Amino acid sequence: MNIIVCLKQVPDTEAQIKIAGDAKSIVTDDIKWVMNPYDEFGVEEALKTKEKFGGEVTVIGLGPKRVTETIRTALAMGADKGILICDDAADGSDSIAVAKALAAAIKGMEYDLIFTGQRGVDDDLGVVGASVAEFLDIPQLSLIEDVEFAEDGKSVKVKRPVEGEVLTIESSLPVLITTQKGLNEPRYASLPGIMKAKKKPLDQKTLSDLGLDASDFGEGARKLKIVELLSPPARSAGKIIEGESPQEKAAELARLLHEEAKLL
Amino acid sequence: MTQILTDRRDVDFVLFEQMKVDKLSKHERFKIANKKTLKLIISEGRNLAINELFPAHVAGDREGCKFENGKVIAPESFRKPYKLFQEGGWVSLAEDIEWGGQGMPVAITYAANECFNAANCTFMMYPELTHGAGKLIEKFGTDKQKSLYLKNVFTGKWGGTMLLTEQEAGSDVGAISTSAVKNYDGTYSITGNKIFISSGEHDLTENIIHAVLARVEGAPAGTKGISLFLVPRIRVNDDGTLGEPNDVVCTGIEDKMGIHGNPSCSLSLGDKGNCKGTLLGKENKGLQAMFIMMNEARLTVGVQALGCATASYLHALNYARERRQGKSLMSGKDQNAPSIQIIGHPDVRRQLLTMKVYVEGIRSLIYYLGMCIDQMHVSDNEDEKAKYQGLVDLLTPVAKGYVTDKAFEVCNHGIQVFGGYGYIKDYPAEQLLRDCRITLIYEGTNGIQAIDFLGRKLGMNKGKLFYDLLGEIKKTITKAGQAAGLEGLAAGVEKAVEKLKKTAGILMKAAVSPKALNAFAFAHPFLEVTGDVIMSWMLLSRAVIADDRLKTKAGKKDIPFYEGQIKSVEFFVESILPVTSGKMDSILAMSASIVDIQDSSFGGK
Ligand SMILES: Cc1cc2nc3c(=O)[nH]c(=O)nc-3n(C[C@H](O)[C@H](O)[C@H](O)COP(=O)(O)OP(=O)(O)OC[C@H]3O[C@@H](n4cnc5c(N)ncnc54)[C@H](O)[C@@H]3O)c2cc1C
Repeated sequence: MNIIVCLKQVPDTEAQIKIAGDAKSIVTDDIKWVMNPYDEFGVEEALKTKEKFGGEVTVIGLGPKRVTETIRTALAMGADKGILICDDAADGSDSIAVAKALAAAIKGMEYDLIFTGQRGVDDDLGVVGASVAEFLDIPQLSLIEDVEFAEDGKSVKVKRPVEGEVLTIESSLPVLITTQKGLNEPRYASLPGIMKAKKKPLDQKTLSDLGLDASDFGEGARKLKIVELLSPPARSAGKIIEGESPQEKAAELARLLHEEAKLL
Repeated sequence: MTQILTDRRDVDFVLFEQMKVDKLSKHERFKIANKKTLKLIISEGRNLAINELFPAHVAGDREGCKFENGKVIAPESFRKPYKLFQEGGWVSLAEDIEWGGQGMPVAITYAANECFNAANCTFMMYPELTHGAGKLIEKFGTDKQKSLYLKNVFTGKWGGTMLLTEQEAGSDVGAISTSAVKNYDGTYSITGNKIFISSGEHDLTENIIHAVLARVEGAPAGTKGISLFLVPRIRVNDDGTLGEPNDVVCTGIEDKMGIHGNPSCSLSLGDKGNCKGTLLGKENKGLQAMFIMMNEARLTVGVQALGCATASYLHALNYARERRQGKSLMSGKDQNAPSIQIIGHPDVRRQLLTMKVYVEGIRSLIYYLGMCIDQMHVSDNEDEKAKYQGLVDLLTPVAKGYVTDKAFEVCNHGIQVFGGYGYIKDYPAEQLLRDCRITLIYEGTNGIQAIDFLGRKLGMNKGKLFYDLLGEIKKTITKAGQAAGLEGLAAGVEKAVEKLKKTAGILMKAAVSPKALNAFAFAHPFLEVTGDVIMSWMLLSRAVIADDRLKTKAGKKDIPFYEGQIKSVEFFVESILPVTSGKMDSILAMSASIVDIQDSSFGGK
């Protein structure tokens, strides 16, 4: 089974995010970049599937040169090949444009399965997976927390949480699956994996290599424009309710919820 | 990005700019160790350290080990990290691939292990002792011993230990009384009691291979009659499968100050007359064998202490940047002046800078020694090999004795920067101090390190090792002297080196004179001043590189880092070396009071 995993490099979830002077982007100087955690689930699921059915796992990322580090991590985890779409013209592209580039890179390849994260933990849009499926004209199964293949590897049964229940969906292949937390526990790169990673192919492609028109990409081509980034309001101090007895405190709480918070 | 274990920029600086570890890849042995791979090793090791080892640090401390019916139960929180660490291949990063290692340079191992130790030094005792036992098997094992044990030990599938200490034999290993009697089949029956054995019994691995010092019947007394044995907890059949349990019984574990997650076991060997082991190496050559491995084992302890110190520093630094308390001294009587972050107070800054210079100086020294070991391995020139071996021999007591002393001081400052919170278990500072404390004691107390340094190492080859070292330091001083702006600092280090040379000469003579006791009373202070001078050397060498980068090609992001390097050596030369110089005066005075005072005059009776 040939599997493709789309990878995004995002700021470490523990990084302190600072808004840049233009109020439209963030300061990237001090940021530690890591693999989008949802994409780690994708890599892990792809590797598990490969271990069962054989085949090849290819990881694809888009972004500046530093994204190679994230791709190498995936190779060290066990993926076979990496592709980085790296083109200055793609800087600042919106999600639809990113999906278009990924789809163009995937189009010529043989694949049965594509994994993307259900969203990137940086801007939380969740658009890329669905758009890639759309551009490739294949079904998309979103927010999946369990994947099971038929014995013959020709179809897949997945589970998706819905409102406290679980929806089971079956699909033929090829299909694009977006990963949800709980799908698996991603492995760490092992040392033998790290040594092997160096020898694995990691191709770099520009937009024109993929037959794309640079004018469809970058800041200028955005359909989705960022107007302004704001920090969340600082949390105000909590309030401790005073009172002689539990009854008295409960009454005061009810009053506050009613009169101040206006929730009741 | 806030870092809590090791400063990645600094680790990369030492590895790739100061030590140039990636240059080793031009040798066949390390051809896979290119810069990309080395960086990936550090990154992926960090991931494992932060996500898995670090959370188990506090958990393991609170849980501790349990002793029930002769069995020791390791902390539950260590189970998953151990499995991941072992399966990831981290136990023997620098060993032969044939035996389950990864064939990487020792220097990169120290860098990775620094981070693992910073995350959880107690946890690291399991794989590190295992690795140490593996080294003994690799070096002295017969083909059969290697095939039975080595791969399973080097991969951490089985644990490994070192059984030296007994009730009457601590610092004086020569006093051991555990005995070994040869059997008809060539094995030995071992009888005796060992104490304080780290990871001597636990349930993280299915088997444990003990390296045991014992005395063969009729052997000469003292250190010349000691042999080394391999004693598996569970016997291993010739086909490699596990057989009967051996007669090795854990009779208890110690309740101690720190490293609660690692059991310190009392082991009774051959209580039922049925503890079988095989000889490792030659009869009566056990202690020499142990000593050959001692350098690396002691360096491992240095890495452990460095791990505690770097973590303590970064925790304190992050805290000092956030905690607001008190007003700036410069705000005068202004009652409305805002509280400032405590990093703004000179006394806190002094402590942070003290922590910084030791952590960074120690990091450089440890990686440097790793590089010496690697260069020894790849060199095909006998003189060069001897030079590196000499540096390692000479500097090991520094990297154990001095480094652990200073690392502990760093952890102590770490608590102070946190104020009251430093004393409270909700914060990591107190545990780092407790865990770090053991490093001053095991693998030879720091007192013993100092004696080894003055009594053995200093005088080796008529002091040649020591003078060679001073020669290496001079090279750096010369370079620094040629860099505009660093001349004064170079001169400061040079002055200290000259005085150290003089001090060493006088002390060495005294050590073999009728005043030997007076000289050895100052062995520890002498190790300390030597360590200080070595720190100043390492910091100066950093500054030479930083200065060059600042003058030529430092990126905007790197400027504060490089400027920090120059400030570090400035602080060390201006504020610490004068104290070092005073300590040298005190050594030279060689006060006889220490030796002359009557035991009874100490009072207390
Ligand atoms: C937590 C822990 C883990 C340990 N793990 C192991 C292990 O895995 N395997 C193992 O074999 N051992 C282990 N040990 C033992 C450890 O190596 C010894 O405790 C140590 O070597 C000191 O020996 P001692 O405790 O008998 O102290 P002593 O030798 O009694 O020393 C007491 C003091 O006297 C000083 N002193 C002793 N002799 C001299 C001398 N000749 N000159 C100057 N000063 C001297 C010492 O420096 C020390 O300050 C461990 C100990 C602890 C506490």
